[in-house]
Amino acid sequence: MYRANMRWAPYQIVMAALLVVSALLLINCQPKGAGKTLTLAINSGVEGDALREAAQDYEQQTGVHIQIAEFPYANLFEKELLDLSSHTGAYDLIMLDDPWFPKFASLNVLTDFGPLLQKRGQDKPDDDFIATSIALCRNPYQTGALYALPYVGNSQLFFYRRDLFQKHNLPEPTTWDNVLTAAKTIHEQEPAGAATGAGMYGYVMRAAQGNAAVADFMPIFWAFGGEMFDAAGQPDVNSPEGIAALKFMIELGKYAPPGYASFNADEVGAHLLQGTAAMSINWPAWISSFNDPSKSKVVGKMEFGQMPAAKNPGRAEIGNWLIAIPREAKRPDAAMDFLIWATSAAQMKLSAQRGNPPTRASVFNDPELQAKFPSYPAQLKSLESSRPRPRTPLWNEIENAFGIYLSKANSGELSPEDAMNQANAEIKKIIAR
Amino acid sequence: MAQKGPLRQTKFFIPFAYVNGIDFFADANDMTSGLKRIDRGLGYILLAPTVAVLLALTIYPLLYSIRVSLQSETGNWTLQNFTRLLSDHFFLTALVHTILYAAIALTLEFLIGLGLALLLNSQMRGRAIFRSILLVPMMLPAVVVGVVWRLMLNSDFGAVNGTLKIFGWRTESLTWTAAPKLALASVILADVWQWTPFMFLIMLAGLQAIPQEPYEAALIDGASTWQTFRHVTLPLLKPAILIALLLRTMDLLRVFDHIFILTEGGPGFATETVSLYIYRTAFRFSNFGYAAAMSFVLLGITNVISVGYIRFLRTNETG
Repeated sequence: MYRANMRWAPYQIVMAALLVVSALLLINCQPKGAGKTLTLAINSGVEGDALREAAQDYEQQTGVHIQIAEFPYANLFEKELLDLSSHTGAYDLIMLDDPWFPKFASLNVLTDFGPLLQKRGQDKPDDDFIATSIALCRNPYQTGALYALPYVGNSQLFFYRRDLFQKHNLPEPTTWDNVLTAAKTIHEQEPAGAATGAGMYGYVMRAAQGNAAVADFMPIFWAFGGEMFDAAGQPDVNSPEGIAALKFMIELGKYAPPGYASFNADEVGAHLLQGTAAMSINWPAWISSFNDPSKSKVVGKMEFGQMPAAKNPGRAEIGNWLIAIPREAKRPDAAMDFLIWATSAAQMKLSAQRGNPPTRASVFNDPELQAKFPSYPAQLKSLESSRPRPRTPLWNEIENAFGIYLSKANSGELSPEDAMNQANAEIKKIIAR
Repeated sequence: MAQKGPLRQTKFFIPFAYVNGIDFFADANDMTSGLKRIDRGLGYILLAPTVAVLLALTIYPLLYSIRVSLQSETGNWTLQNFTRLLSDHFFLTALVHTILYAAIALTLEFLIGLGLALLLNSQMRGRAIFRSILLVPMMLPAVVVGVVWRLMLNSDFGAVNGTLKIFGWRTESLTWTAAPKLALASVILADVWQWTPFMFLIMLAGLQAIPQEPYEAALIDGASTWQTFRHVTLPLLKPAILIALLLRTMDLLRVFDHIFILTEGGPGFATETVSLYIYRTAFRFSNFGYAAAMSFVLLGITNVISVGYIRFLRTNETG
């Protein structure tokens, strides 16, 4: 009765056939013509888009096939870190946000560009690259070996409503004191500009825990003379200067929309575009929206300037996209050829036209581009004087902890002194681990 | 098996007890005893792919994460990931938030769910429509719920403050997700909104499975409405209640998605739960060992509570 199990039943044959077919499909997934293929991990966003389009051009010109692996910003870091630290050699080129660079460099998973450049008769990248951008690509910072090239040159700018400054006869926001006075004046005197009838806010900032709060605080912190680490490398955020900077941030917060302690980029952008807030620290990616009447109620009224000063001159935080070659990359030479091509002045101009600030002075000074992007001179000035986030492989963890205490102070949960003392203790714990 | 008889009774009350595998093989055993030994061999072969998939996707990662949790970042064997938990006040605070969150949300969801089930179990007009409407939130992805509530709770243009304003409330200080004291309440509110229907659904199934006879007996004995509810409905509904509480508790303790969208753990640290902290530790700080250690603690807590529920369910049925 059960003799069927001695022979192949029809369903078993079907199953076996399915297995064979799926195995064949898996084998077929290997890239064809692997000798001429480069694999690129990019960010899904305007920065990655430009690189993908460049890759298509490169393929047409040289015949080298470029395979793109695209990840959202939130996953890109973990994806690259996992692949690089498990030495899979899956990628020939990776895009990385500059705060991640120390982590990758400390794990020793990136290719040193020195020998690759020497092979091409160069002893260093050319001087057209902005110094502050190239400094990010070296480990140790500024002085060490080169492990990446900068592709997108963002740095913070100070956004403010020129029309309101003129209307109320306010001095330019060149110092943080001027900013505070202006925020107060505008908040008190500007009639209800908001749809909600809540009036006009003098200043708007991101104080949500994590990256947001830290990025919007650092320019104030630095201008007031604060330093995250002292000369001995110990955390020093609770110095008198640091506490004064946080007190100032909270003072500014009085003229910011309620609930700013949970704001991220979207909320800040919305307030500025709707014309319900007058000033903010922001990133160049937002500039184009202000001239788009379908998004902006303040077309032509926004000015993009430099960071205000206090005790120290104002300096913006830098945020560049870099491109590196993993140590285990299968074709480092071909990858370097592509990288040099993609970061050349001609290609960077194309990338700039696609919406990415360049990292080369000659591209910033290109008359055609300046006509299209009037804020380029201001962006160049900001980038040249910008500062990086502290260069440590533990930055993600430090930024998270610091951001939590900044957010707590801004939401009124902790006093500025307590917030800075606790943040300092937490950062100490992180670097001691 | 001593519990065989009483346990099998639960099956017609609630489909979940059946799926839960408590007495799943009762009928299968009768069947297999009639088959020849050689067909058992075929049975194992047919099971092999499932077991292989289970081994590859569940058992291996589990063992691997135990290993990772017992190693330092340099690969040495150590218990430091577990000892660090005790002095990490971020973790301890997140644990308090998680337990608070689970306890409050569970209580509210249970009471409202039971109330709605009692209401819609009676013969009222249009109850079919109400039932369908009530189930909608449960079908939405948690991410969508997070975004919807984020918009509704926006202090400037959100629907909640907008409505309150119509009734003359001053809403300037009601910043919901941005206020340290209101933020936890806000994320609980969103959870209650989404998951009360689940409680309701199980309660309703339980109520409808209760036979009419006990009610008739209670009526003859002259029991009041409250007495009927307390001594007839509640005891017969107990298995359904416990299963619902068990499933929700396990879910609530590992809550992640809508908090991540609504507040991302903020403001400050006010709504950070253990799952969020585990995520951050693993994928932002790339410390997988410590994240695995925290996961095991969370798993332990979930297990202790679940075993408690199951024990209670069993004693209740045999006793």
